[in-house]
Amino acid sequence: MTEIKVGLATCGIASGGEAVFEEIKKEIEENDLDVNLKETGCMGMCYEEVLVEVIDDHDHYLYSRVTPDKAKRILKEHLIEHKPIEEWIIKGNGADIGNGFFEKQKRIVLRNCGIIDPGSIEEYMDREGYKAIQMCLKEYTSLEVIDTIKKSGLRGRGGGGFPTGLKWDFARQAEGDKKYIICNADEGDPGAFMDRSALEGDPHSVLEGMMIAAYAAGANEAYIYVRAEYPLAIKRLKIAIAQCEEKGFLGTHIFGSNMDFTINIKEGAGAFVCGEETALIASIEGRRGVPRIRPPFPAKKGLWKNPTNINNVETYANVPWIILNGADAFASMGTEKSKGTKVFALAGKINKSGLAEVPMGITINEIVFDIGGGIKGDKAFKAVQIGGPSGGCIPEKMGDLKIDYNEITRTGAIMGSGGLIVLDETTCMVDLAKFFLNFTQNESCGKCTFCRIGTKRMLEVLERITSGEGKDGDIELLEDLAEKIKSSTLCGLGQTAPNPVLTTINYFRSEYEAHIYEKRCPSHYCPALVTYHINAEECTGCTLCAKKCPVNAINGDKKEAHFINTEKCIKCGLCFDVCRFHAVEKI
Amino acid sequence: MKQIKVTINGKEVVTTEGKTILEVVHENKIDKIPTLCHDERIEPYGSCFLCVVEVEGMNKQVPSCCTPIADGMVIHTDNERIRRSRKTALELLLSNHYADCIGPCMNHCPARVDAQGYIALISMGKYKEALKLIKQQNPLPLSIGRVCVRECEVACRRKIIDESVGINPLKRYAADIDAQQDHQWVPDVKESNGKKVAVVGGGPSGLTCAYFLTLEGCSVTIFEKLPRLGGMLMYGIPEYRLPKKILDQEIKWITNLGIDVKTNMALGRDFDIHSLFNDGFHAIYLAVGAHKASTMRLEHEDDTRGVMWGINFLRDTPEQAPKLKGTVVVVGGGNTAIDAARTALRCGADKVRIVYRRSIKEMPAHEDEVHAAQEEGIEILFLTNPKSILRDETKQLKGIECLKMQLVEAGPGERPRPVPINGSEFELPCDFLIGAIGQKVDTTFNDPGKGIELEQWGTIRVNKDTLETSIKGVFAGGDVVTGPDTAVNAIAQGKRAALSIHTYLNTGKVNQSVKPFLSFKHTFADVIESELSHFETITRNQMPELPVEKRIHNFDEVEQGYDKAQAHAESRRCLECGCSEYYDCQLRRYADEFEVDISRYLGETRKYKVDRRHPFIVMDPNKCINCGRCVRTCSEILKVSALGFVYRGFKAVVKPAMEKPLLETNCVTCGNCVDTCPTGALSEKFPFKVLGTLPKANYPAVCNFCSIGCNINFKIFNDEIFYVSNSPKEIHDSHNKGYLCVKGRFGHRFLMEQNRLKKPRIKESSKFEFREVTWETAIDFTAEKVNAIIDQYGPESVAVFGSPKMSNEELYLLQKFARVGLKTNNIGSFSNVLYGKDQDSLDHAFGATISTASMEDIRTADVVIVINGNLSEENLVMELKIKEAQKKHGTQLILVNSSEIKLTRFADLWIDSRKGSNTILLNGMMRHVIKNGFAAVKKDEIPGFNDLAEMLETYPPEEVTEAAAISPEKYEQLLQWMENPEAKIVFIYNMDSLREKSTNDLKAIGNFLMLTGRWNQPGSGIILMREYANSTGLMDMGVTPNYLPGYVKPFEKDEIKRIGKSWKMDISKIFPSQDMDLAAKLLRGDIKALLVFGEDPLCMADNLKYFRGVEFLMVHDMFLTATAREADVVIPAASFIEQDGSYTTCDRRVQHIKQIIPPRTQMENWKCIETLAKKFNKNVTYSSPSHILNEIQEVNRFYNRRSEGKIFNKTGRPEFSFYSTEMVTFNPELPTLLYSENYFKTIQTYLKFKN
Repeated sequence: MTEIKVGLATCGIASGGEAVFEEIKKEIEENDLDVNLKETGCMGMCYEEVLVEVIDDHDHYLYSRVTPDKAKRILKEHLIEHKPIEEWIIKGNGADIGNGFFEKQKRIVLRNCGIIDPGSIEEYMDREGYKAIQMCLKEYTSLEVIDTIKKSGLRGRGGGGFPTGLKWDFARQAEGDKKYIICNADEGDPGAFMDRSALEGDPHSVLEGMMIAAYAAGANEAYIYVRAEYPLAIKRLKIAIAQCEEKGFLGTHIFGSNMDFTINIKEGAGAFVCGEETALIASIEGRRGVPRIRPPFPAKKGLWKNPTNINNVETYANVPWIILNGADAFASMGTEKSKGTKVFALAGKINKSGLAEVPMGITINEIVFDIGGGIKGDKAFKAVQIGGPSGGCIPEKMGDLKIDYNEITRTGAIMGSGGLIVLDETTCMVDLAKFFLNFTQNESCGKCTFCRIGTKRMLEVLERITSGEGKDGDIELLEDLAEKIKSSTLCGLGQTAPNPVLTTINYFRSEYEAHIYEKRCPSHYCPALVTYHINAEECTGCTLCAKKCPVNAINGDKKEAHFINTEKCIKCGLCFDVCRFHAVEKI
Repeated sequence: MKQIKVTINGKEVVTTEGKTILEVVHENKIDKIPTLCHDERIEPYGSCFLCVVEVEGMNKQVPSCCTPIADGMVIHTDNERIRRSRKTALELLLSNHYADCIGPCMNHCPARVDAQGYIALISMGKYKEALKLIKQQNPLPLSIGRVCVRECEVACRRKIIDESVGINPLKRYAADIDAQQDHQWVPDVKESNGKKVAVVGGGPSGLTCAYFLTLEGCSVTIFEKLPRLGGMLMYGIPEYRLPKKILDQEIKWITNLGIDVKTNMALGRDFDIHSLFNDGFHAIYLAVGAHKASTMRLEHEDDTRGVMWGINFLRDTPEQAPKLKGTVVVVGGGNTAIDAARTALRCGADKVRIVYRRSIKEMPAHEDEVHAAQEEGIEILFLTNPKSILRDETKQLKGIECLKMQLVEAGPGERPRPVPINGSEFELPCDFLIGAIGQKVDTTFNDPGKGIELEQWGTIRVNKDTLETSIKGVFAGGDVVTGPDTAVNAIAQGKRAALSIHTYLNTGKVNQSVKPFLSFKHTFADVIESELSHFETITRNQMPELPVEKRIHNFDEVEQGYDKAQAHAESRRCLECGCSEYYDCQLRRYADEFEVDISRYLGETRKYKVDRRHPFIVMDPNKCINCGRCVRTCSEILKVSALGFVYRGFKAVVKPAMEKPLLETNCVTCGNCVDTCPTGALSEKFPFKVLGTLPKANYPAVCNFCSIGCNINFKIFNDEIFYVSNSPKEIHDSHNKGYLCVKGRFGHRFLMEQNRLKKPRIKESSKFEFREVTWETAIDFTAEKVNAIIDQYGPESVAVFGSPKMSNEELYLLQKFARVGLKTNNIGSFSNVLYGKDQDSLDHAFGATISTASMEDIRTADVVIVINGNLSEENLVMELKIKEAQKKHGTQLILVNSSEIKLTRFADLWIDSRKGSNTILLNGMMRHVIKNGFAAVKKDEIPGFNDLAEMLETYPPEEVTEAAAISPEKYEQLLQWMENPEAKIVFIYNMDSLREKSTNDLKAIGNFLMLTGRWNQPGSGIILMREYANSTGLMDMGVTPNYLPGYVKPFEKDEIKRIGKSWKMDISKIFPSQDMDLAAKLLRGDIKALLVFGEDPLCMADNLKYFRGVEFLMVHDMFLTATAREADVVIPAASFIEQDGSYTTCDRRVQHIKQIIPPRTQMENWKCIETLAKKFNKNVTYSSPSHILNEIQEVNRFYNRRSEGKIFNKTGRPEFSFYSTEMVTFNPELPTLLYSENYFKTIQTYLKFKN
């Protein structure tokens, strides 16, 4: 029977996927077709959404950028007339789909995303779902499970990179009658959406990972802390949990074993700092999400002072695969210190923005160019910002750097949870640092002096620099404050908040200096430091810019070269945007 | 606990696991680590990062307050890096501290006089204190209060609302008041230090320097060139502004301190610097001023008759003043010009004109002076400049030729420049011309080349900070250094010079001045009107002046000074910009210590409105440093959570819950947030003006409200109680850990009430009016009246009543006065008599009705059962102790209360039984205990056990639950707790509350304790909460007809004999008396003379029925109460902090309060009682409260258990003290208590459960 899958993760829905789904459904009914229509999660190619996959007796056909109108035609021509519409199909099969988008990927976490219907526990089970937990319950002791995870070399995918097996072992060894498992789904980095996609596309693998962790640590209750801004993920998680409860996978004596296990969902209100584990715990307990000092670590004293194991979504999603395929299979991928794969959310000035799961050890250039298809608009690649606001910039010249926890940390950035923002020549690095610092400043819980006021003062210095009022000594002031903030704050948010500033100063110091001493933004980005100018040779005198200028700062006769009155110009950039002849230049 | 070893600053320390680095460092006194967010009473938090230390092996600094130590840790608490980090933390905090430490007035005063402080003192009527405060910086307030340029008023923030506060007139007011006294306030002069200092120049700067050096013990000689001291104040300021008499008076007060004055002695003429040193002076202060007039640079200025120089002209007035007539023209725009013009008018001029080359805006003269001159008819020609002098051939002035000027812009910060308008010449006829365009220093005293170094414009060159000149030991200040400047600036320099010279004389060196850190709003932003919108507009009190017509022909002082009403009204206009926590602010202290400089980090600042809506607590979020101590105290200790954080990032700040007004939250107004706040973000709202930078002294004391006996601290300024705080360390170490309730923290304000009784008064026989009398008269009158009544009706017709708020000493003396003096056993307290509260319910059981457990037992109790007590309202601190035990020990709280109260929320089990069913419940519990074999007494051991068991048989569970109206499940839960014989159970019962009481419930608790063996087990028992501070002491001291001191009962013949012996009389005739029911006696009208101490029964009119037989009533009280109004004699009482005394808490701790201030009444209460008692029995004689205490220890068998007969240790600090829980030998008829017949008889009397 022919099957049609519509990508209905948030990316698909945002591109109009629901209308496409409805259209197909309507067409199927009207034409009385024998077609199995279902929704699925994100397969990673967010840039090609809405994706509709048609699987018939012959082959898989992946249609990209489908609209309701297109869908109507696909139904008519492909399904009724059996004539696939070649021009809309993304070329190639399997790994070749999307011109090599999948070629260098290795999908473990995303193994089911975009393939199965996330609302169907059966489909998950058809793909070996819930086998791993049953294996554990029947065949392995908790210690053996922990050993397997230790051997696999899995490290926390939330950003810290702490060995998962070791963490579980701490929780297992901790004294206490009651233990908890927490899944951290408070994904908050700007530009990161790995966890959301995993939860939307394959919630069961996360639940199964949590069950295995609970078995290993001796816990019988769990919380998934997921931000309320992820309604679809919450909806699908709730469905998945209900399905598990119905099947006896959750509750008492799960899978007929002696283990009891329940999972609760706690919706977070979207505070970035609640991704920090102690703040997250405080928030579940109903208190203000404020970090506290560790030790004691949550493994010893966590939720309601009981031993608690916290991992993030991606970490848990890896676990069933490792149990099923063995620690060695996982450890065979990657570098010496970093095993397995890592999911990255590609964003920024890149052609193919979306989700990519790559084996550890792949280089930045491979991700940017081979998977991401290079920089948009043929601009020059400048740097990647990795690790979100806690991370840093890695410049283009270090593009051969291997994805590895230790290697990335050495650059001053961090692996982070997987946000990877690609920057091109038009990105001002000072402005970028300002953007991230502004984010952390607003999201700081306000507890520690250095984070609350120190980051604010750094931000003010950056604002000063980008508005052309930078002073001699500002870079040193930034460095000095950054060092103190890193040293004198309680949690990861504060300790890493200066990273974007420090890495940009480290790799792009000249840009800072140009802003401060030459009052110039080399990327022509900072409005206060940009002057607009019309290149008389290119200008055709079409008058469009003069008409659009809100302050009448552009003069010139029809069909004659125009010029900008810089005293009047408010640097809104409208002329630059509207000029069709690239005659307006920024200096 | 595991022992571990750590190394701190190279020193090895062995300690136990689980502590934080900060704790270990402080415990071992290795270092004092600064911290703002840490309060050892609450959980470690770690937010300010002031306490950072370095741990070897960790790559970042760690906050020591919340980092646990680990074995082998190597810790460094002090190095350059750590100090820098701490300093930066402070700088960041202070870069966002939109607040003033001191007001702009004080900040802008060159002499740094604490204007806010003296204004506050004036508003309280404390004029002498105000003057003392002023004279700490400025010894010439009488004069300066008249002539100051008032930079304080220019800076005054009140201007944003309406007009500046009349600061200078207020200073003058305080000085004038002092001047009007017969004896002026004289500062203390230190003993001579043998140092001789020469002050050259007797103007304000020289006088100030001489004043402060004299106070330090130096021997000072002032050399003055002119015949009189005072400098420009004397010779430059006209009489009508500063009468010479007043100035002379003020100078005399200074020189009278022991200053040698040599007038008509000119430097460079009669002596020089070297001769001074040769004459044995150790240091010299040059303050010779700037007396030389600047010329107008006009031709013939020097040789025309009728042309004068202003400064010379002023010098001569008024006695030798030249007689003027016709028209006088004065050239200039400064104060000297105005002074000269107004003086000219007073010297007889018909018309006076001032010629000034700029406009009124640029005029340097004080606007008030300009205005006064114009009022007096003086014309000012602006934009006019003299060009030449017109004279006749006799060189007699005829007039001047003038030019009109126009102003052109000058450089930034400069006044516009006047330039002549060409051809605008005009003639101005005049008879006299006075040039008053400025003065300069006359440096003819100096020996060019060899003398002192000068600046190029002729002033003396000094180190601007220390005022040292180029010659060692020679200092200079005032106009001779600054050029012509203000008097207050000269005074400021005089004080600075005195400080330099003093240091120089003592050490041979001079120190640079240390500038304390001060936060100012203006560092961040201008204060705008909307920030002050909560203040209402109040017009400034204008300085009363002589009317123009009455002043222009004489030299009478024009400004008359404020009267009292004006001064008080004006003082209330002060906005109190300076911080009330100036002295207690930890942030400011550390800022000073680390020499912070916030300039690097200035940026955006948060601005909030100050929230003054709460009656006692002011919230100023501008001063908040987000340490969360208040939030955590409110949630962790009080479990109230009235405060919380709102917003994130830079905007995060503490606000009341849901951002409501504090009063609309759960706030219980305990003020513990104010105590823990390290800055002024949370402060107390005072009933008086904020006192600027005045220090207050700390006096530990004990709260006088309920009987928990919390340790408190009085903050006292002078002899005035200011407020109660709980902040000093020693109070934090007290049993209440410094935590107080609303009464303890804010309730003592009654001590400040102005309507306290201060003198005895006797009622006029015919009218309801009192006349004040002497102490002697009042006491004699009372004795006479009481004697007459005894003669007529016998001693049984007299009764004495005492208050449970009185000290043990007073109460003991009071009962002795009744029994030994008046020979009556009618002694009691209305607090017990009126409502028939049972004071003896536990007597049969334990020998006395007192607590068997102590508050310490709560810490380790497994179960606390609260019956008949609303702790949140009545004894909050007890509630806090329970909450702490719940948290730290896992104590279970069982609350028996018919309705929901605040405490219900914290109860682990709430027995919501029907009111009046407590006894039934307790009997049911006892039945359960016996039935299930949990009784600690064995059946056969106890005769009569069967009777008890039989009686309890009538309390089966189903009947109990029905009668008490509780669910069987709840009852079951309650009973479960009775099944563990090991469980430590403490009952808490409010003896003075009738709300939830049922008949015999207290007896039932006593029986329960005995039945389960918990009555004498450490950690278990009952605590009887009492309403007043000394409710327990009142009974202990025998202020009841039923007992003698020490609960001696009628049948204890030996004890009665023993006490009688001690009292030197046969007491058995008096105690026991035939009828011990005082209430009945009163109701019958048997009491004819009633002496009431400290009680106010008539505050309820119904109680008049007790007074029907009273023919004579004496009341001893602090206030004119309802009862006092009815009295024949009212004797004023001293408050509890005005005398020494001891108080016994509800759990048998005897605490001592030392006298803090002398009695307002001039007589301490014990002395008053003693004096009265002596009128009846000469044997009642004591020398002091401790003398009485010695006798208490002898007489009261429970107070004499301490070695050497001392209850208190040598420090006089309150101390925990048991006076016995072993009541076994107490009652001869109850030798073994539990096993006695009486015990079971008691049980027989219990309320029977009836179907």
